[in-house]
Amino acid sequence: MSIAPMNITAPVIAPVEHTPKKQDGLGDAFSHALSEASNAEKTSTSQAERFAKGDPTMGIHEVMIASEKANIEIRYATTLKNKAIEAYRELMNTQV
Amino acid sequence: MSTTDFFTAMEVSASGLSAQRTRMNVASSNLANAQTTQAAGGGPYKRRDVVLSSVDMPGMQGHDFSQAVKGVAVTQISQDANPPRLEYDPGHPQANAQGYVAYPNVNPVEEMVDMITASRAYEAGITAMSTAVNMAERALGIGR
Repeated sequence: MSIAPMNITAPVIAPVEHTPKKQDGLGDAFSHALSEASNAEKTSTSQAERFAKGDPTMGIHEVMIASEKANIEIRYATTLKNKAIEAYRELMNTQV
Repeated sequence: MSTTDFFTAMEVSASGLSAQRTRMNVASSNLANAQTTQAAGGGPYKRRDVVLSSVDMPGMQGHDFSQAVKGVAVTQISQDANPPRLEYDPGHPQANAQGYVAYPNVNPVEEMVDMITASRAYEAGITAMSTAVNMAERALGIGR
């Protein structure tokens, strides 16, 4: 009576491949948010300008909404920036 | 970007605000012309009414619930077909052969109610938008 040898053809746990691949980091997210904020700010400014010039198609609420949107976008970008800096500081404070 | 959903809510509210603003303009036009006996095209001024329709939001294409989230727009300003109010005033330059003057079919009480409704709907739209803004700000405060 013979014991059949274990035939392990493939490793149970596949090795993790550490290939550095290009992925969106915090920096990309931040620059994207920053460009969005810049666009929103530009829209807000141009709408306020059109309203001030007496454009009849421009309502007060549209101007206020655009400025509120710009406010949120800028705060989003600021929050991302703070998070990125926080994460960087956390890494820099690592004890070796 | 992640705040798109809140911005969609803001844009829907904005469309409602625009519609209510138009409605307010129409109501004040009706009130201002309540005594106008000679409008463009002859005859007394005819009461106007807005027709509101739901419209697709530009940012919602391809979204799962694009058919559920709709903005509103004024698609038509219709004229009230009710007959003009006739008043006996033979000395009036617009009086007909029987001495009656055709006044607009505008009822100031109705217009007041319309204005109050528009004002309340505008307030509701602003409240909805403030809530969306609050939610976005709360979301930004996560982890602070």
